[in-house]
Amino acid sequence: MHHLDITGLEARYGEHTVLSGIDLTVGRADVIGLIGPSGSGKSTILRVLMGLLPPVGGTVKLDGTAVNYADAAQVRRLRERIAIVFQQYNLFQNMSVLENVCVAPVKIKKRPRREVEEEARALLAKVGLGDKLKRYPDELSGGQQQRVAIVRALALHPEILLLDEVTAALDPELVSEVLDTIRLLAKEGMTMLIVSHEMAFIREVASRVVFMAGGRIVETGAPAQIFDAPVEARTQDFVSKILRH
Amino acid sequence: MSYTLQFGQIWPFLPRLLEGAVVSLQIAVLAFCGGLLIGTVCAGVRSFGPRWLARIVGLYVVFFTNTPQLVQIYFLYFALPDMGILLSSFMAVVIGMTLNAGAYLTEIQRAGFESRRASEMEAAEVMGFSRIQQIRYVILPHVARVLFPPLSNQFIIVTLGTSMAAVFGVEELTGEAFNINAQTFRSIEIFSVTAGIYVVLTLAASVGLALLGRAVFRARTELI
Repeated sequence: MHHLDITGLEARYGEHTVLSGIDLTVGRADVIGLIGPSGSGKSTILRVLMGLLPPVGGTVKLDGTAVNYADAAQVRRLRERIAIVFQQYNLFQNMSVLENVCVAPVKIKKRPRREVEEEARALLAKVGLGDKLKRYPDELSGGQQQRVAIVRALALHPEILLLDEVTAALDPELVSEVLDTIRLLAKEGMTMLIVSHEMAFIREVASRVVFMAGGRIVETGAPAQIFDAPVEARTQDFVSKILRH
Repeated sequence: MSYTLQFGQIWPFLPRLLEGAVVSLQIAVLAFCGGLLIGTVCAGVRSFGPRWLARIVGLYVVFFTNTPQLVQIYFLYFALPDMGILLSSFMAVVIGMTLNAGAYLTEIQRAGFESRRASEMEAAEVMGFSRIQQIRYVILPHVARVLFPPLSNQFIIVTLGTSMAAVFGVEELTGEAFNINAQTFRSIEIFSVTAGIYVVLTLAASVGLALLGRAVFRARTELI
């Protein structure tokens, strides 16, 4: 049984179809790299999975059980198992780094504060932010903020982590510190769906690469196959363009 | 005709003016806190509530921001007794000013609510926050920070507005000034000292509130 099983997924923004016929299976500890031109629907898949955009067709199964996105209680339970990190970090500006990480586990999941804080300190130290606990988001660099956002998602103990272009808003010299963090997670066996334009990174870290265009999956395969020997013309075109540049 | 300033005559009355100032502050604090409560709830309803309720709040705001405060208090003080509701002049002024402040504070806070960051709310939503929890933990602290200066300003306006209570015979600062004036006829002296006390009150309030705002915002966020 697959961890996450997406079949025939379809989504629209108003009249505009943004996803059609998406089939994707994700096993435990898989790292799926979603690549493709802007507007191809990569980020939309993540938004649909999180219940931020209700699908109009198809099914999403988590451990074999279909999720009904119209049912708020089911969406809430789903969000206890899947977490997402956004391109713009979206940290709570009014909270310190430590509070950003602790607020949901303590206030929403009602876990004991001491235990959560201890875990948060350890996680923040692991991503190199052990000395920034009392800082506020506007006092940190983009790369630091994004690492806080990743830790904030991890503190919820998700089974699956969705990363939505998490390095796209960063200055080039800050990208690597965030990628190091993700590498670490991959090594620890975290199941991840990563939308990214960092092709070299996807190639290195992904167990499978999905190439999308126009709201559809064009081609899926091992990183080496997609980047070195793509089958579809559309993929060849995309890959040749990014390799040339 | 010349007028000789004789402050000497009114110094004995200073304690009464100061007692009046305390009553003024009481009215201001009661009306402002009550108004803040009303304003917070109403702004929440206007921004996030069902449409029919938001419309009722809208009518409340339009009514109270478009009629004179004096007329509103007159209504409470003279019209309600006919319906069997008897209010002391102090209570009529406090309730009238509370409702009035509530309307203005609704509008001020609504602007603050609309400055909320949609992206932060989305992050909270996917982390399992309910709508109420999003408001409690994400919006209100952010809004409080944005709104602190205009709210302080409104407190000053409410404080100065309390002088209206004199019309209803409440012995607050202006009321006491009226009384002392009637006894001594040293109008210029009385009212310049009274004005001076208002200046001291409002300056102290602005400085105090500014310090409070600076201290509370970063500190308070640690407490959540």
